[in-house]
Amino acid sequence: MSLENTFKEFQAVAYNPKKCLNEYKAAGKKVIGVLPYYAPEELVYAAGMVPMGMWGSNNKNIGLAKEYCATFYCTIAQLALEMLLDGTMDQLDGIITPTICDTLRPMSQNFRVAMAKLHKMPTIFLAHPQYRRPAFGLQFTIDQYNNVRHELEAICGHEIGEEAIRDAIKVYNKYRQARREFVKLAGEHPEAVSAVNRSAVLKAGYFMEKPAYTEKLEALNKELAALPASNWNGVKIVTSGIICDNPVLLKILDDNNIAIATDDVAHESRCIRVDADETGDPMMALAKQFANEDYDVLLYDEASNQNRRGEFVANLVKESGAKGLVLFMQQFCDPEEMEYPYLKKALDAAQIPHIKLGIDQQMRDFGQAATALQAFADVLSL
Amino acid sequence: MSIYTLGIDVGSTASKCIMLQDGREIVSKSLIDVGAGTSGPARAIEAVLAGAGMTREDMTFTLATGYGRNSLEGIADAQMSELSCHAKGAAFLYPDVRTVIDIGGQDVKAMHIENGAMVNFQMNDKCAAGTGRFLDVMARVLEVRTDELGTLAAQSTKRVAISSTCTVFAESEVISQLAQGTDKRDIIKGIHYSVANRVSGLVNRIGVQDRVVMTGGVAQNKGIVSALEESLGHIIYTSPLTQYVGALGAALFAYQKALKMKQ
Repeated sequence: MSLENTFKEFQAVAYNPKKCLNEYKAAGKKVIGVLPYYAPEELVYAAGMVPMGMWGSNNKNIGLAKEYCATFYCTIAQLALEMLLDGTMDQLDGIITPTICDTLRPMSQNFRVAMAKLHKMPTIFLAHPQYRRPAFGLQFTIDQYNNVRHELEAICGHEIGEEAIRDAIKVYNKYRQARREFVKLAGEHPEAVSAVNRSAVLKAGYFMEKPAYTEKLEALNKELAALPASNWNGVKIVTSGIICDNPVLLKILDDNNIAIATDDVAHESRCIRVDADETGDPMMALAKQFANEDYDVLLYDEASNQNRRGEFVANLVKESGAKGLVLFMQQFCDPEEMEYPYLKKALDAAQIPHIKLGIDQQMRDFGQAATALQAFADVLSL
Repeated sequence: MSIYTLGIDVGSTASKCIMLQDGREIVSKSLIDVGAGTSGPARAIEAVLAGAGMTREDMTFTLATGYGRNSLEGIADAQMSELSCHAKGAAFLYPDVRTVIDIGGQDVKAMHIENGAMVNFQMNDKCAAGTGRFLDVMARVLEVRTDELGTLAAQSTKRVAISSTCTVFAESEVISQLAQGTDKRDIIKGIHYSVANRVSGLVNRIGVQDRVVMTGGVAQNKGIVSALEESLGHIIYTSPLTQYVGALGAALFAYQKALKMKQ
């Protein structure tokens, strides 16, 4: 199959989660929506159910969700709820609501109230610990994950055994590895993987069943790895932020010969950096996997005064061969906004040019972003 | 044989053209007070060509910039962002420029220039506060023309405090001041300082260095310029060609591209 056809197939999935959900339901499968992020999706897979990521939508406006949400909640969370209210994703059999940020924490209760009021689906509350690495933090994570496990068992109607979780960990490690490899290959071959297609491939992973997705992605990776060395003559950047999956916005990068060398985007690489142990106690393995996550705006850092995350991102830019960084700042994302001065400090110290673009998922006009990106490409081309 | 190049700046509120001979001499210029999505660009092109007695075919290279730069397919040979063009145009007029401030119809841009090239910039977010649109809204509420604002502010005896955070709230404040019988000229002065506060916050992010040049139509408003000078603590230079700086930069880039084509 040609690369273009492969990308079209990934796009078909990425741009139509409702169709995927309908197909799963028609096949008699149970499906669990998973909000951002760091939820132990492995437990859903181990239960024999299909997890589907819920990261908002680029095609909807907030209407019905306004009844439940504060206006300062980010559009990702509000549009995820909108999709549960307007018939797009309400065939789900349940949702997991992590509470990893100041919006998702109260929002978990808005989901709970809305879903209970409308008799739609159970909501599974998930609280991660702030101190995730000490023994008590690991135990807290295990306890929380066990709560999730038991609530999933109530939905699927059977116990989720340790062996099934261990198998799920193997499936997810393979899935993460394939995604990491794709990110690397896409950065090496921008002539073959546009920013629009790169995003579609990564986004489809949230909706497809993991073994099928991994198999398809590994085949794509094999084709990309066999390509001759790239003769790309544009500029390379690193992207950062919570999410940047709007094809209209990403096409601006393609139109201006700007390639994504790699990313520090939560929806893309931030949540595939760490694998879980495939042996031993699988619940401890999942807890340790979360404990080992690092360099994330949303995670507590005992050594935050050292600006480790800022330096990590600056090094990411340098090591990837990119010339600059584009930060897609999600509107109303307090953690990203508050972290920005530290990121800027680290980038300035490393003499890495960057721009910050304010975005939200209800934006339809990107004229201002196009101007800024085109000018940034000019600056990087000097 | 001379090389003629055309720079077209299709802004959100006006269309401007500059024709250059050999990348040095301005042969003709035009300005139409409507911008992207209107008849403005076509009329501005027609006017600039008529001014020089030339045709489009006489142009070796035509380059579009501004908010509506992508709308000139088939007319322009290439397009570039208005940030790059304003920086280029300002550096042509003031070779020692280090900071360029461009207040456009719907956005504000600050550029840091080194050796005539833009090396860093900042743009406002989607909010209209601090932009030309903000001034238009306020002028309408005050029942004056936007181009009268500078003159009226100069007659003010005291400044009224106007919020610098939101166009909608600021409009309410202006209406409230009018209802209280406050002198329009004092309100206008307050509006200018409101814009200056907003813009200087943006400019300070890139670090202000002399020489500071302000471009774009709003630079014709002396009230804004002096409020901004006070806020930034730097002298701001404005050219009589201030509205044409983007088009001038486009014509200069067009000349560079024309030379490359000939090589």
